[in-house]
Amino acid sequence: MPSRRRTLLKVIILGDSGVGKTSLMNQYVNKKFSNQYKATIGADFLTKEVQFEDRLFTLQIWDTAGQERFQSLGVAFYRGADCCVLVYDVNSMKSFDNLNNWREEFLIQASPSDPENFPFVVIGNKIDIDGGNSRVVSEKKARAWCASKGNIPYFETSAKEGLNVEEAFQCIAKNALKSGEEEELYLPDTIDVGNSSQPRATGCEC
Amino acid sequence: MDEEYDVIVLGTGLKECILSGLLSVDGLKVLHMDRNDYYGGASTSLNLTQLWKRFRGDDTPSENLGSSREYNVDMIPKFMMANGALVRVLIHTDVTKYLNFKAVDGSFVYNKGKIYKVPATDVEALKSPLMGLFEKRRARKFFIYVQDYETNDPKSHEGLDLNQVTARQLISKYGLEDDTVDFIGHALALHRDDSYLDEPAKDFVDRVKIYAESLARFQGGSPYIYPLYGLGELPQAFARLSAVYGGTYMLNKPECKVEFDDNGKAIGVTSEGETAKCKKVVCDPSYLSDKVQKVGKVARAICIMSHPIPDTNDSHSAQVILPQKQLGRKSDMYLFCCSYAHNVAAKGKYIAFVTTEAETDQPEVELKPGIDLLGPVDEIFYDIYDRFEPCNDHEADGCFISTSYDATTHFETTVKDVVELYSKITGKVLDLSVDLSAASAATEE
Repeated sequence: MPSRRRTLLKVIILGDSGVGKTSLMNQYVNKKFSNQYKATIGADFLTKEVQFEDRLFTLQIWDTAGQERFQSLGVAFYRGADCCVLVYDVNSMKSFDNLNNWREEFLIQASPSDPENFPFVVIGNKIDIDGGNSRVVSEKKARAWCASKGNIPYFETSAKEGLNVEEAFQCIAKNALKSGEEEELYLPDTIDVGNSSQPRATGCEC
Repeated sequence: MDEEYDVIVLGTGLKECILSGLLSVDGLKVLHMDRNDYYGGASTSLNLTQLWKRFRGDDTPSENLGSSREYNVDMIPKFMMANGALVRVLIHTDVTKYLNFKAVDGSFVYNKGKIYKVPATDVEALKSPLMGLFEKRRARKFFIYVQDYETNDPKSHEGLDLNQVTARQLISKYGLEDDTVDFIGHALALHRDDSYLDEPAKDFVDRVKIYAESLARFQGGSPYIYPLYGLGELPQAFARLSAVYGGTYMLNKPECKVEFDDNGKAIGVTSEGETAKCKKVVCDPSYLSDKVQKVGKVARAICIMSHPIPDTNDSHSAQVILPQKQLGRKSDMYLFCCSYAHNVAAKGKYIAFVTTEAETDQPEVELKPGIDLLGPVDEIFYDIYDRFEPCNDHEADGCFISTSYDATTHFETTVKDVVELYSKITGKVLDLSVDLSAASAATEE
């Protein structure tokens, strides 16, 4: 049995209110979906153990907790992200148009050391609505935008139906790991103030 | 906006964000607004560009200082006592999961023109030149008394009612010299002036106990801890707590105007032509300036340096206390230093602060004794800000205004204000005493 080194990787999920960011997280980590929409309440960050090749690492997926609704995310939210997920609703042109704003906001706030190569993943969510008839953003248009921004990987999902969610997050995890490896962060020796470990949603798949 | 809330909070200072978090967890519907486009209000941490804009009026910092975002310069410099009230709040709310802390390297005191380390261990205490040998024996007896003192155990009181006996009387009982009293009162109990001597000794003893317990907590070189990326992380962490429990956040809302009904009761807040209704308003003094009164001024200097404070054993983070008597002032002066080791400056850079309760209108002259101890400085910014206290009747107007941050070295008074405001707003008492022992119990597992 090869030894396993644990790594913590931070993933943040950005996008307009109501595009399904929290539902995507919950579907991926907890295999749950809620039809009850409230501008995100109770979502914080979720963790999931993921194995990649012979290594085990912890994906820490950060929701915006609703603070994106009025553009009120603080710089602390962005800091140290290893991968940034941009989510839009395929039934909302406005949410797709705002992807550019979210990407630029991320680059400003997070100030990655290599902005040209920082890993993004784009998700077009809610492909299930009305059997796809209310769709207003074509896949072609979305892929063109992703290509123009440095070949950002692109996925179309339904958090409700669970379609393509696993595939999207596998890609996210892979890119976060690659980013986390390359970044030799200066990690000072911190102290444990509360000794309150965050209970993890163990979803290790071996 | 154009909605109805239980509470609208104005200003995202640390006090306001803690309150927002607590109230949201309690299930209240909270709207939190700030005129700035960043969190923290008066207690924020600024990057280099923001610092230059605020103090120099332009946004072009010197290029040799490194990138702007590597800097997180605290506007209200303080360290957290490792066993203090703010740590209890962090544990109580589980906000520690958003933050990382490091122990502060050292705590020092200025005495007769020199800087001395405040002893962190018995061995250091024995070696310290701050006291002579016989004085050390007397001081040791005093410290044993303090250590053994328990409020609920009359035997440990040794016949003294600390709610009656003054600090001066207690000190006299142990025959301590003036220099020792100065040291204990200012470097351990962290009093800013000498008025404590004529007050009941209980508070004095409690403070020395907190200091000792904080020293023991992480066994670092000082009783303090400090968050990576600076104190501006704290309001953001509590704001996130509020958001997770349903709080709504709106930064960059100019001219937040509190609306009142015919009886002078707050009924909402208007910004950019929209009004949100509420039952209560919580804010920092700057949002309701006609309901606060000026109670003092704080003078401070913010310095960027390329070296630690001299004579602090190359500490990457340190506090130096200059007791009032040493300087011939009414209040103590404090030096703080943090650095790239805490991710608040570019590699090789240090941020130092000199701060005190202002006694003149000339910070450059007034702060000189502290600044002279810093050695060469790359950049320096001076500032004086007023401190305010609320003078309104919150039961009549539904406004709950926090007090400005003082020049103390820590957050004990900050949390005290928060706890009092919480009680006024909710009618409930915030009990923070159990959590720390629970956390300690968890540590022992």
